Amino acid sequence: MSSSVYLLLTLALYAVGALHVFLHAMSRSRLLTSWTVTATLGGFVVHTAGLSQRWTEAGHFPAVGLRDGSSFLAWAIVLAFLMTYVRTREAVLSLAVHPVAFSLVLVANLTPASASADPILKSLYLPVHATLAFFGYGSLFVACAMGVLYLVQERELKSRSPRAFYYLAPSLERCDTLTARSLEVGFTFLTLAILTGLLWSHSARGRYWSGDPKEWSAVVAWLIYVGLIVARTRTGWGGRRSALLGIAAFVAVAFTFLWMTVLAGAANAVR
Amino acid sequence: MLVIVGVSHRTAPLPVRESLAFPREGLPAALARMRDEARVGEAMILSTCNRVELYGRALEPSDEDLAEFLPRFHGRSAEELRPYLYRFQGDEAVRHAFRVAASLDSMVLGESQILGQVKEAYQIAEKAGTLGASFIALRNRCLAAAKRTRTETGIGQNAVSVSYVAVELARKIFGELRDRAVLLVGAGKMSELAARHLVRGGARATVLGGRTFEKAEELAAALGGRAVPFELLREEMGPADIVISGTGAPGVVIRRADVEAALSARRHRPLFLIDIAVPRDVDPSVRDLDGVFLYDLDDLKSVAESNLRERRKQAAVAEALVEEEVREFLGWQKSLDVVPLLVELRRRGDEIRRAEIEKARKKLGPLTPEQEEALDSATAAIVNKLLHPPTVQIKEMAKNGHAPELVTLVRKLLGLS
Repeated sequence: MSSSVYLLLTLALYAVGALHVFLHAMSRSRLLTSWTVTATLGGFVVHTAGLSQRWTEAGHFPAVGLRDGSSFLAWAIVLAFLMTYVRTREAVLSLAVHPVAFSLVLVANLTPASASADPILKSLYLPVHATLAFFGYGSLFVACAMGVLYLVQERELKSRSPRAFYYLAPSLERCDTLTARSLEVGFTFLTLAILTGLLWSHSARGRYWSGDPKEWSAVVAWLIYVGLIVARTRTGWGGRRSALLGIAAFVAVAFTFLWMTVLAGAANAVR
Repeated sequence: MLVIVGVSHRTAPLPVRESLAFPREGLPAALARMRDEARVGEAMILSTCNRVELYGRALEPSDEDLAEFLPRFHGRSAEELRPYLYRFQGDEAVRHAFRVAASLDSMVLGESQILGQVKEAYQIAEKAGTLGASFIALRNRCLAAAKRTRTETGIGQNAVSVSYVAVELARKIFGELRDRAVLLVGAGKMSELAARHLVRGGARATVLGGRTFEKAEELAAALGGRAVPFELLREEMGPADIVISGTGAPGVVIRRADVEAALSARRHRPLFLIDIAVPRDVDPSVRDLDGVFLYDLDDLKSVAESNLRERRKQAAVAEALVEEEVREFLGWQKSLDVVPLLVELRRRGDEIRRAEIEKARKKLGPLTPEQEEALDSATAAIVNKLLHPPTVQIKEMAKNGHAPELVTLVRKLLGLS
């Protein structure tokens, strides 16, 4: 079976998951039923198989270009969600994860595969660097989503007249803790991704830093995260400001992804 | 057939319900009388403050005895009570029993006590020996369906009383209440109630005393906390996560400056202020401060109202779920009616088979054990295969309520006596 068939099947399964979550949010029944979980898990398994198939087809690790990039990003986000769900049973994340995973796989389905035979893609650094970076993206996405939920729940509580999200979102405290935890995980991966990126750049071009926007935004995001984590551990800083900063840092992270997949050409992006 | 006769908050005012209530100690005797006088096979009585209901398995469908028994038992005339009484029978009664247990018929929609009350009512009947197989099946399905509605819908969630709303809001802010510090300013009835809920959740209470310090000490002792003089308001607000203020003071008790000072001591961790005093104790302008959540009495009420709306939404989901359970139960119940027929069908098939084997054996002469077994299993297979499709169909049709016609028809067709 070709990787595009896998991708289509993944889309269908994530669509089932997203639709269920949406309907359940509307009727305020339990967000994740066994149906939704099964569809998501099934989607994830098919997705994984599709990625490995795509790796064979492309001849290099499938994380380059819009099609492969968004597909892999969706995979990483779903993985981060599943890990978080297993550990914390926090279903509310599915409100953010399911639509985003569905949209990313939809984008992947609609874009043609970019063929590139650039020798730089054959480097062993690609799978290592890309995997670390995308694991980072996944966890930081979860952190950002929890941050958004924090802000939404805070607004509901401040307004004193609860609407939908008051009932759907967890407590402020929980949003805050989960943001912090996913942030730590994501930050570790991001750091490792930046380091391997530097090494790769050195081995391919003989220099560590070439100053392209992707490198800058990664470093900016990294610095914001350092600031956030230091402020949290040193001063017990949390709540709204840290949610806002976390979201800002994620925007920077998202830019590195966008640069790589959309703004620069596939091969250029890694150069 | 199940018959339910009763009064509830929907049909009867409190004085009428009171006059028909059964005290707990009197239930076993009442159940025994009900079984004998109202001529029911099984009996159960559910008596709570919002409803009095008699559940009976009537031996004849048109039996009105139950509706006469309830007034007679309490020495009232049937005529006088007729406008308040309702009577369900058959499928309708089953549906009603399920809805009551699931709290869909409760005065406060989704309240959780009714489940325990229903469970207890069946228990008492079981001990009194008036519960039979059909009521036990009804009880098991009712309670299971009620539990399902509680876990699968949010009908029991979201507080609808003011003091519970305060606790729920505290949970929405702080998550766990364990070791959260609650500060009570003034010792009113409502603050005490809210504080009790919070302490039960693991919070620690401190009571600020006013002019009558003994009152504060008393309350602090009841809550397992400590009492401190009112002058320490500022110091005590620093570590407090939740402040409940309910003094009778005419002016502002907690000023903006107090809250600002508390916030800087808290390093911007959220602070939940509950102002249940009228006139209000807390300067309303603190609402704009970052990390401060101030709720006054009206705010709490409006949350309670929107929680009730939320419950009504959930009730629609719960109704569908209960209906599904009712259908399943009724189907199962109706399929019981054809069980004797199916047993007889099997028996008749087997009879014929054995008779034919005997006849055949006479012609075949002595058989080896293998042949004996082959003959036996071949004939059994014929009977089984022939009877399997009608068995399935009869059960299926019985679930849809066709049992009585079916029994007559099948008996006639197959020449069963």
